[in-house]
Amino acid sequence: MKREIMVGTVAFNRRLGDRLYHMAVRLPDLIPDPHPGQFVMIRPTSSEWPLLSRPFSIYRFSGTKDRATLEILYRVVGRGTEIMSFLKSGSRVSVLGPLGRGFLVDENCNCHILIAGGMGIAPISYLADHLRAILPSEKDIIACLGARSGFDLFGLEHFRKLVCSLNLVTEDGTMGVCGLLTDILPGVLRDCDPERTAIYACGPMGMLRSLADSLSAEGNWKCQVAVEERMACGVGACLGCVLPVIDGRGRVVHKSVCKEGPVFKLQEIWWEGK
Amino acid sequence: MEKKIEKKISGTSECTGNLAVNIGGLRLKNPVLTASGTFGYGEEFASYVDLNRLGGIVVKGLSWQPRKGNPGPRIMETPGGMLNAIGLQNVGVRNFIREKLPFLRRYDVAVIANVYGETVEEYLRVSELLTTVTGVHALEINVSCPNVRKGGVAFGTDPDMVAEVTSRVRGVTDLPLLIKLSPNVTDIVVMAKAAEAAGADAISLINTLTGMSVDVERRIPHLRNVTGGLSGPAIKPVALRMVWQVAAEVRIPVIGVGGIMNADDALEFIIAGATAVQVGTANFVNPAVTMEILNGMTGYMNRHGLQDVNELVGTLRLWTESEEERKR
Repeated sequence: MKREIMVGTVAFNRRLGDRLYHMAVRLPDLIPDPHPGQFVMIRPTSSEWPLLSRPFSIYRFSGTKDRATLEILYRVVGRGTEIMSFLKSGSRVSVLGPLGRGFLVDENCNCHILIAGGMGIAPISYLADHLRAILPSEKDIIACLGARSGFDLFGLEHFRKLVCSLNLVTEDGTMGVCGLLTDILPGVLRDCDPERTAIYACGPMGMLRSLADSLSAEGNWKCQVAVEERMACGVGACLGCVLPVIDGRGRVVHKSVCKEGPVFKLQEIWWEGK
Repeated sequence: MEKKIEKKISGTSECTGNLAVNIGGLRLKNPVLTASGTFGYGEEFASYVDLNRLGGIVVKGLSWQPRKGNPGPRIMETPGGMLNAIGLQNVGVRNFIREKLPFLRRYDVAVIANVYGETVEEYLRVSELLTTVTGVHALEINVSCPNVRKGGVAFGTDPDMVAEVTSRVRGVTDLPLLIKLSPNVTDIVVMAKAAEAAGADAISLINTLTGMSVDVERRIPHLRNVTGGLSGPAIKPVALRMVWQVAAEVRIPVIGVGGIMNADDALEFIIAGATAVQVGTANFVNPAVTMEILNGMTGYMNRHGLQDVNELVGTLRLWTESEEERKR
């Protein structure tokens, strides 16, 4: 199937908070609906800096008869994202994607638990939209959203409409429970059956590592996580974005986050290599 | 600024002139190849690029055993380029032959196997095996690897080591033999001449320049390996200068690599003395960049009435007195 890099137009680029932005890009052609967990590589076309595109999880996507709009959330963490934050509507950006392997949904599970830390809320929110659309109403969708402070939590109204139960955690206590996501996890899992529960998570690596420890202490839970890593090509050629994982034979191998991820099984990740 | 960068170099995929070049016995349908380490084993970009239109693909460097490569972070963007410390992760030559080569053989594209070794013996083992298989059209020897028998000094920094690797590999293969030089040397011409005298059919240059980048908040290097190889537009002036110097001193063909992002860049290298070029980092910015470069080159040839791209090789004119006077 022929693919190509697209040139899209920024529809809006809104500042949501401290270094936090929400951008929508209109694409010239209709593309198939991305899977939750997939990402796109974006860079402004009008400048030679940044040289490389930056990867962004898909936050929202809408495809109509002949065009598509995708939305991303991003935080300014370096030169590339800083330049992105200056783009105005009408600016042209190159877009490669959707890329990577997204979350797999086991529709037999009764209980679907979404865990999002910080910017992880972007792919998890897209996943929540997807789950609500495909799952019958008797399946439970529970969301746990965590951040440093209440100022970093957004899109809550949208989440409330999609999920049965919404649990908020902030490190400074300005919203929800004061603490970390892993603090509330035992309570959330208490009424769930590991065999019929699917957990999906995205957040900083430190959070995912704590999650791995908590979940293994709590039993045999099926959990998929979306990770991120600095990228150059986005298609699995340069081998810049590897994650050490334990393969089927118990050996540690390097998998490309862009191509074999960004979604991995949580228990596969080899933490000593991070 | 916006107009200049967005302007697509006009050209067509129809070329009335000849684009075929000969690299020491390796016949290429056109002078555009992809650089080792930037195009995987071809499959990754196959849906973005018409592989049948490419002059050649230089696959990721192959070692005898599979290599896991370095722990991350492995890459970091720097102004006009990027650093990489991948650590030569590859599937190993035997897995390449078994799993990756069959895909490439479906296409009408020259396959050049880049070879890596930590010892001369390893270079020989890998080269010998590749020489026996159908589908590999040439070998490109990466001499930027550390020689573990000599305390980790890179082969490519010592003309005697360059000569030794070249002549030993020459002894085990009759495939066209390209030696890819490291720029991290005082005199690149000495290295190129050593390779030529030892039997190389062509010289590819340059490999990456060694560099580093520091995270000032955390006070650690951005790369887990501390240093890495710099590639991209930032290195083009160095690569171009080295191609020009080497092409003036050796008789074998030179392949120019280093920061080529568009057709004009490729033409600069050819005019400076390269018979062919390799495109690397640019593939990450636009997977189809090689096709645009080809289109741009044919457009240039049509505009200048050139019947054969070989007419352009090494045609850099030096300033004459009358030009200097006109400038004053």
